[in-house]
Amino acid sequence: MSLLVFLVACGAGALLGLAARPDGWFGKLVGIGCLLVAFVAALLIRSGTSLTVGDMALVGSAYSGLFLACATASGLLICVVALAAGWSYEFAPAALASFAGLAVALTATDSGVALAAGAAATTAGALVIAKGVPRNEAPDGRLAEIRTIGLVAVAFMFAGIAVARPPWSNPGDSPVLVLTFLGVAVALAVRSGAVPFHVPAAHLGRTARVFAPALLLVWIPAGLGLLAVSWSATVFGNHNEWLSNAVVIVQLIAIATIVLGGLAALVHDELEEVVAYSIVADAGFVLLALAARTDAAAEPARLWLLVFVAAKAGLVAWAAAVSHAFGTSNLAGLRGWLRRTPLLGLALVAIAVATLGWPGSAVYEARSTIIRLALPGSLQLLFLASIVLTIAYGGRLLLLGVLEPAADVAAARGERPHWGYAAAGAAEATADLDPAAGSPAAAEPADTTAEATPATRSGADATLPGVAAVGLEKGAATTRRHGSRAAAAANPTLAVAVAAASEPASTPEPEPAPDAPRKESSPWGPRLAATWRFNRTLEVSLVVVAAATLAAILAFGGFNARAASQSGIPLDKAAHATPTPTPVPPPPGPTPTPQPTLAPFPSGSALPSGSAAPTPVPTPIKTSGPANGDTG
Amino acid sequence: MIQLTMVGAVAAVIGGIVAVTGRDSRLVAAGLFLAMVAAPLVSSPEPTYTALVFRGLGALLAAYLLWAATRNGSISSEGSAIGVPAEVVAAAAAFCVGWYVVPVKPLAGPLAAQAAGIALVVLALGPLAGRNILRGGVAIAVIALGISLLMEAWTASASSLDQIVTTAVMVGIVGATGLLISPTDVDLADDVETDGLADEEVGGQAVSEPDTEPEALPLTGRARRLGVREPRR
Repeated sequence: MSLLVFLVACGAGALLGLAARPDGWFGKLVGIGCLLVAFVAALLIRSGTSLTVGDMALVGSAYSGLFLACATASGLLICVVALAAGWSYEFAPAALASFAGLAVALTATDSGVALAAGAAATTAGALVIAKGVPRNEAPDGRLAEIRTIGLVAVAFMFAGIAVARPPWSNPGDSPVLVLTFLGVAVALAVRSGAVPFHVPAAHLGRTARVFAPALLLVWIPAGLGLLAVSWSATVFGNHNEWLSNAVVIVQLIAIATIVLGGLAALVHDELEEVVAYSIVADAGFVLLALAARTDAAAEPARLWLLVFVAAKAGLVAWAAAVSHAFGTSNLAGLRGWLRRTPLLGLALVAIAVATLGWPGSAVYEARSTIIRLALPGSLQLLFLASIVLTIAYGGRLLLLGVLEPAADVAAARGERPHWGYAAAGAAEATADLDPAAGSPAAAEPADTTAEATPATRSGADATLPGVAAVGLEKGAATTRRHGSRAAAAANPTLAVAVAAASEPASTPEPEPAPDAPRKESSPWGPRLAATWRFNRTLEVSLVVVAAATLAAILAFGGFNARAASQSGIPLDKAAHATPTPTPVPPPPGPTPTPQPTLAPFPSGSALPSGSAAPTPVPTPIKTSGPANGDTG
Repeated sequence: MIQLTMVGAVAAVIGGIVAVTGRDSRLVAAGLFLAMVAAPLVSSPEPTYTALVFRGLGALLAAYLLWAATRNGSISSEGSAIGVPAEVVAAAAAFCVGWYVVPVKPLAGPLAAQAAGIALVVLALGPLAGRNILRGGVAIAVIALGISLLMEAWTASASSLDQIVTTAVMVGIVGATGLLISPTDVDLADDVETDGLADEEVGGQAVSEPDTEPEALPLTGRARRLGVREPRR
């Protein structure tokens, strides 16, 4: 039942969100509401959860439920951040559509269905790519996206054939498996933005909508990585030179991604690029897990993917919150950000801790295990390098934060709480500002104009006359173009618009006599509303802290993450249970059949080519070692 | 006696040829619709009516999405790079090859599915090399259709859920193509909220800032939706 609710919430939310796209509040309501319903439904997905569709069943597991809950929770938090930091009407529907596809992929008992559903989930990424032809030599995100979608669709659909292992005419199926392994790995690398396919990922800040990296670089690649790691069991028993060469290629891509991605995050000066390269670098661990070709790598990879989803989505939200608070995303203009937004600094530290952990923590062990299993001994230093690079670019951001504040940061409103009664005074101060002078606002904007601008702008959503609304929007656009709130404060057009905007809000009734006392009607309602609007930075920071906390809890094995990671997804069973058709001479006597690490389905219906309805499997799937605690 | 699978295979390949070679976007959409409707017929045992109806609805939706994205006439496909006759010959040759090669023995599904699948994959290879998004997207849809036919031929795993997911993949690819080729919406207020991190460029095209006074600006987008009236002039 919970699986059905999850799918309905995601499907209906995606369709309604797209249909209601031009309408502001309804689209937001649908997006956030459906994500909330999907999150609650995902929490209820357990190992016994099943949904029969025709002659096939979707079977839940502890891990699939936790993964989907983690993804929807981070999506929900990002959407809440987006309410203040810039809502994109395509983001929530795209996220919901991809979550629906991933839910089918993670619960389908038919391997072909699972892999095709993963491909279908990828197509939702096109929704968050900006439309239009790029100027001059600017990167064309649309072309890169359609090629990525095509590569993923072809690779994963063909992987559905390979995992079924049809009886090939030639002895053995090595060529097909090698090609498919390489195809799946390259598709995953391209979707994750791995080096050398990183250029579209780095340019997402210009070619895609706000928060698009969360979908294109975190959620979809994580789901595909999970499928790829599960599928890779198909090639475990295949040992030949070509497959070894393919594994070496994947290892090289992974190493280059971890090292160069971390270095790129260290040297770039745009926050979006730093975040993108940080995500890309950590995605290299999934490629390493794929190259390990052993069941022992599956469990740490699953745990790492859970943390990856929460931490990197939190990092995207953090970057958006910082950019929103200070009106710029250039690191030079963000000097001193930590002084104004200490909660965001706390969130960044939590995200870094969640990404790295420390010896003994679940995420630390997961990352080290993946590297130990995937690389030879001489390359084990890569683990240390990844830690050093992560600390380096995180430390650089923190160091910038404690420096003397730049003009944008000094002009911006921090996390210090404000109360509603300040709204009227600030608006009046703005109205009294001489537009021709401009310089006073630029010199001391923190307590007057710059603080009044967001509040009055938010208030304008509901009450502004048309001229003021247009003026505000144009002024805000100019602000972004110059990358400075101080410029907005000094902008006469914006100042005039702000003055006009604040007028009806501050004088809703006829002006009383000058000597009459100010009428105090309903002191709490307007004050609370103004307080709410005045503290957007604080509210956004608190949501980001919540996202970072979620990641940190998962990183240390909370929410039963470690135990859930030991259970697999149905694709694991399909990849293990399909027999190898390579002819093997029959043994002379009755010998005990080697026990596979994954138990096959009780009825043959779960095989990829099966047509009979399978029965729900209540028992968890073990891939390696006993579960520590409850796996269901 | 002509079998339904054979008719479906030939129709799917013809639809693929039309989709890949057509210059008019309506023709491309029609070809894709034909290929997507005919492909589920190439199945053994024959698919259920429910599956056929679902695949048909999916084909209709995909064709509509493509048509809706290109209906203003400003977007068209480049057509075939090697010419329609060459595409037809290539598809026919690939169909024959697919009919006679035996990569899987015994074949789990119909032979026609293998032949049509290989033909569609070969047809789609050319447009993938270009930079035209419409052609590339259509080629990806055609190649995905070809792989679904090969899966049918080699593994015969066309369950109901499989039909649904295959339809979702096709609609997703064509929908993504339609989204990516649709014209730029320059009005920021219709796409992204302007009070946040909205892109200052939409689709790489800069949104020019008019040098007019606020009073002279007409109401657009969000302000109009909020019910704000036009100021008196």
